[in-house]
Amino acid sequence: MSLIRQIWCLVLGAVLASVLGGVAVSTWSLRELLQTQAQLKNADNANALALALSQQKGDAELMSLLISAQFDAGAYESVRWRDAGGAQVFERHLETPQISHAPGWFVALLPLEVAAGVAKVSDGWKSAGEIELRGQTGYVHEALWRATLSTASWLLLVGVVTGVAAAIVLSRLRRPLDTAVRQAEGVTQGRFETVLEPRVPEMRKLTSAMNTMVVRTRQMFEAQAEQLRTLHHQLLCDELTGLSHRRQFVAELNSALERDDGPLRAGLVLLRLKDLQGLNQRLGHGATDQALVAIAQALRVYPEQVRGCLAGRLNGSDFALWLPAPNVVGDTAQALADALRAGLQNLGSGVGVALGAVELMRDQPMSAWFAAADAALAKAEQGEGVVLELREAPPSDEVAQGERAWRALISDALAQQRSRLLEFPLIGRDRQVLHLECPLQLKLNPVGEFEPAARWLPLALRHRLSAEADLQALALALQASQQDRRPRCVNVAPASLNDGSFIARARELVQAAPSAARRQIGLELAEPAAVQHFEALQELGRQLRPLGVQLGLEHAGAGLAQIDRLFQAGLDYVKLDSAVVSGVSADVARAAFVRSLVVMLRSLSLKVYAEGVTDALDAQALWDCELDGITGPWASAQEIKP
Amino acid sequence: MSRFVTRSAARVRRRLRPALAALACVVGLWSALAWGWDRERLTESAAKLSPRTQAAVRAMIQMAERAAAQPDERDRLTTVNDFFNQRVAFRDDIEVWGQIDYWATPLEMLDKGAGDCEDYAIGKYMSLLAAGVPQSRLRMVYVRAQFQGRPQAHMVLAYYPQPEAEPLILDNINPEIRAASLRPDLTPVFSFNGEGLWSGVGATTAGNPLVRLSLWRDLLAKAKAEGF
Repeated sequence: MSLIRQIWCLVLGAVLASVLGGVAVSTWSLRELLQTQAQLKNADNANALALALSQQKGDAELMSLLISAQFDAGAYESVRWRDAGGAQVFERHLETPQISHAPGWFVALLPLEVAAGVAKVSDGWKSAGEIELRGQTGYVHEALWRATLSTASWLLLVGVVTGVAAAIVLSRLRRPLDTAVRQAEGVTQGRFETVLEPRVPEMRKLTSAMNTMVVRTRQMFEAQAEQLRTLHHQLLCDELTGLSHRRQFVAELNSALERDDGPLRAGLVLLRLKDLQGLNQRLGHGATDQALVAIAQALRVYPEQVRGCLAGRLNGSDFALWLPAPNVVGDTAQALADALRAGLQNLGSGVGVALGAVELMRDQPMSAWFAAADAALAKAEQGEGVVLELREAPPSDEVAQGERAWRALISDALAQQRSRLLEFPLIGRDRQVLHLECPLQLKLNPVGEFEPAARWLPLALRHRLSAEADLQALALALQASQQDRRPRCVNVAPASLNDGSFIARARELVQAAPSAARRQIGLELAEPAAVQHFEALQELGRQLRPLGVQLGLEHAGAGLAQIDRLFQAGLDYVKLDSAVVSGVSADVARAAFVRSLVVMLRSLSLKVYAEGVTDALDAQALWDCELDGITGPWASAQEIKP
Repeated sequence: MSRFVTRSAARVRRRLRPALAALACVVGLWSALAWGWDRERLTESAAKLSPRTQAAVRAMIQMAERAAAQPDERDRLTTVNDFFNQRVAFRDDIEVWGQIDYWATPLEMLDKGAGDCEDYAIGKYMSLLAAGVPQSRLRMVYVRAQFQGRPQAHMVLAYYPQPEAEPLILDNINPEIRAASLRPDLTPVFSFNGEGLWSGVGATTAGNPLVRLSLWRDLLAKAKAEGF
């Protein structure tokens, strides 16, 4: 029983006991008093009457008259005069029965035992028998009943006031108690939140201690995050411009091209500072560096402000900007060109920048992207000053089919459950499967093939069908895990969290499943979601984690360090993006970065996994970095323990 | 009541009224004592007193046993009447107890070796009950006594061989047991005994306000505690 309920029981018990006990005791003692009074009256009157009768010298007529007078003038039930032999000489009694207004059960519960008053009568020395007299007692129960009612109502009033006072005190006590419990639960779930200190002294000490602990954990985390940012900057970025260097940019771009939830079409802009060597000679090293920094500053705005944008310095004079959105590359490149014209003006007229911008379907390989962008860049280089060359591929036939048709295809596939889950293992150090990653596939064409998310998810996102798809994946995973008891993870698109009913429906689904099955399920969101939908993510954790569902981040990279409130998120695990972990075996700096990421995440009691691992050497290097699990082509190829 | 012996008749009359009023309470208390005594308790109670008192109590118990053995109730009356009339000296309450009126238990009376009219009557009443005389045949009677040429408030014990019969009077002024008609000096006023009253309420009922109301609670409680 909870503390509050125990206190309530105590208060209610005490109030009830005092009300009942008070009424019982007062009624009982009042009854004793009234009974005693009635008996006393009987005895006194019997004696007084006997005394008067004894003075009548045995005149029976006179004595009977006296008895009658006494009876008529007083409140008597009966007066009897018996002679010395016990025979009745004269008797008067009440003809009509007395009516008591007290309820019958009350009268039965408190019977009155009032003995008759008896006194000896004498005529001189001769015995003249005795007088037996009973007074009326009907009023006693009525008086008792009224007294009991008023006592009970007064005590009840006191009880109610006590109860109200207790409720106020308890609610004052309960709020800080609940807050402290919530905070403690949050800490065990990896949410490090501070709460307001209550005014109750004992609770204040507790809360203050908890807050101090949370703040310390935060400070630790922030120090680590800061260290990580520094490390990221030092190891993975170009020294002069602060942008990702070539290898990092390529890894990030590769990851961006491969992920399921990207847009159908995206943009790539390549920039080149023309005639770098010539500039060096003409303007000097300092001015050239200034030009490079100006370009980098113009580029950096994008990844800083739009999640998913990538910017990098590919070599001495070349830069790249990845725009993960359709129909923006033209405007963006134009804006960029304008910004560069303004920024480079003061360096003199000789400085020229070529921009090659392309928009392609995202399913094109990276080589195609670079080939197209390079071609555009080569064209742009022929001009003077800041020149932009834009190439956009024509819309593909799929899009041409029409938005409406796509929406119908996807929603039909979902409604008819033409769907299945793929299974990719995430394995631990000892080759044991920690869970299965389960991307959803849909058969858009009833007679066609199952198609991967990359093909339909961007459209589903656009048509706000991602929540439906995610819920179907969750339902399938619950079903499968219920059968084979294997842990599974499904993706949740960040857009699904925007759907107001998603969390509630997911909770319903999970609640309907047996608890053994729900403990096998994990939900994961891409890292950008953690920032954009932080509140929704927290809510998802609050609703589902108590049911046993795990919550994780996928595609996590250097951006983790930027999530200010990661310690409040309440997560179970983080999957590091392939852009972070690929090539870790050949790159000491990357390994150091991964290792410090792992240390930071472990301090929040999160499990750390690596995704998209293709290479056995990378896998070994990641085990050396103390990761908990690995997924990707390499993991799928391993002989795994069931 | 024999304090009145030394006082004027006018005062007697004035005094008699409240005394009779108080009677109502007193009468009730008589019944509370289930007469017939507990011999061992009585001896035990006496053991705390002087050796002379112990001897007197032993004598009283033996006298009551002797009386109980007598087949004729009339003989029992004589035994009991003589015992108290011979052993106890008549003295006013104010001299013995320092109070105007005090009803002493037989034990207290024997301890002092003195008592007034109601102490005699109480002692005789209790002893006769112990000797097996039915309560219905005994009555304590308030009487007006013509003594030394003056009317006095007095108390005697009356014995009724039959309910309607003329009673025999056990008195300390005249130690001889006589029929009521042979005692013209006594005019009966009111009589009582412990019979049939207050059924259901015992003197032992702790905290019974009835008992507390009476000045005689001490007497009754003491008598009960002493083993009467």
